[in-house]
Amino acid sequence: MTGHAGGVAARPPKPGRSLVLPVGTFLFLVLTWASISEEFGIGLVSRLSTSVPIFLARGPETLAALLRPNWGFLPQTVEPMLETFRMAVIASVIGCGVALPVAFLASRVTAPNLAIFLADRGILSVVRAIPDFLYALVFVFAVGIGPLPGIAALILFNIGVVAKLQSETVDGVDVGPIEAARASGAGRLQTIRWAVLPQVLPHYVAYSLYTFELNIRASTVLGIVGAGGIGRLLFREYKFFNWSNVSVIVVELFLFVFVIELVSIILRRRLV
Amino acid sequence: MIRFENASVTYRGGVHALKDLTLEIPDGQMMVIVGLSGAGKSTLIRAINGLVPPTEGDVIVDGISVRKASAKQLRVLRSRIGMIFQTFNLVKRTSVLNNVLMGRLHTTGTVRSLLGWYKPADVEIAMQALERVDIVEKAYARASNLSGGQQQRVGIARALAQEPSILLADEPVASLDPPTSHVIMRDLQRINRELGITTVVNLHFLDLAKLYGERIIGLRAGELVYDGPGAQADEHVFRDIYGRSLSAADVMGEDAAPAVAL
Repeated sequence: MTGHAGGVAARPPKPGRSLVLPVGTFLFLVLTWASISEEFGIGLVSRLSTSVPIFLARGPETLAALLRPNWGFLPQTVEPMLETFRMAVIASVIGCGVALPVAFLASRVTAPNLAIFLADRGILSVVRAIPDFLYALVFVFAVGIGPLPGIAALILFNIGVVAKLQSETVDGVDVGPIEAARASGAGRLQTIRWAVLPQVLPHYVAYSLYTFELNIRASTVLGIVGAGGIGRLLFREYKFFNWSNVSVIVVELFLFVFVIELVSIILRRRLV
Repeated sequence: MIRFENASVTYRGGVHALKDLTLEIPDGQMMVIVGLSGAGKSTLIRAINGLVPPTEGDVIVDGISVRKASAKQLRVLRSRIGMIFQTFNLVKRTSVLNNVLMGRLHTTGTVRSLLGWYKPADVEIAMQALERVDIVEKAYARASNLSGGQQQRVGIARALAQEPSILLADEPVASLDPPTSHVIMRDLQRINRELGITTVVNLHFLDLAKLYGERIIGLRAGELVYDGPGAQADEHVFRDIYGRSLSAADVMGEDAAPAVAL
């Protein structure tokens, strides 16, 4: 190596400034502001004096009922549970299927031009800003009670979630193979199919399975507004304080989510 | 034939990567470009297939103007030009064969290529390309499971699968150890001679350039400062190209050089 004339070079100043202090101060101020109300923070402490006795009176009884599932209730849950499952399958397949091309248009790496990229990102943030609960309310109003409005609500929810996560994954892809594909005279779709998709496929499968899981869980809320599934039953049993029946549904949902997680792990291990 | 006609490339931000370059590369020649990092070697190579089109002047490849070509013409032109990269640029999560078949995308319809239904004839071309670089036994292996040298051979096979008339190699051995570098350079030399494919290679090791370059051109700060036969390029020539005296870091070393030279 060549020697440096004039001895040791001056060390550069540390670029930028640490964000820890300003961000920390900001968080502290927001937290303080949020706590100055009757319901939260300081108000919460005074409310404990009334809440604790109520909990001590009702809590053990409720808890005991929850821990004693009424398995005789199980047959009644089969049909609505299957409905929830079917809703989630249909909504996941359609929603995630639509989300894949939408994701490619929402990443700067694969979008054909800036206008499409910005439009897609804009539409996606609107779709995502509206909660699934609200979609369900609107669709129930539009097409009536039943699984159909639930499926429609879940599809929109899935597109919002998967397209966002997937487009960010595409942003982080290795661009070397893309350059190689372009240099070989491949078209845009061909480049996405063979230079990008193999890189992001494992993530896509994981995101899709995760939204499927979210859909199973969302059914509990969707049922309340009349959008079909196990939620309707769950809400009814809750209203009558049938905690032992509620417990059966909770155990079933847990098993569902657990099995999906297992499948997800196995699939990802094979794909990565 | 490749012809640079007063070609300049100025990047956004004002960096002049190529300055008023006029150059002719006849069919079938093996030409090596040498120069320091930032001298414009990669830009010169990418100007040939339009990945970095000239901002002034023009590059004419087989009679087609890179600068004036439509998007479709450019794709047709690129399909005739294979490219090899320093970092191999393979899709690591898929099979070697799928990587090589990317070289056949230009003749495969959109629907067929989206579904992966390559024609048997195209699969045969891909297999033959793998045989030519002696790595066909890895056809169904995942690209990520291959060593650097093996990955670069797959990169060459991908370029060959295009059945190109021109091969561009951008620092093809810069990520490889000396013995492997010679294997790759000999592969390129053999392909150039046996198939008559015009080959343009960027190198920064001077001994490799001298050994494999039928013709050497030197770039300094985007300008052509040397153009002559590889055999005639001596230490003075390289000193001129580099604009400084040479050191051991500029050569790869004799120990790994093949016994049978040119």
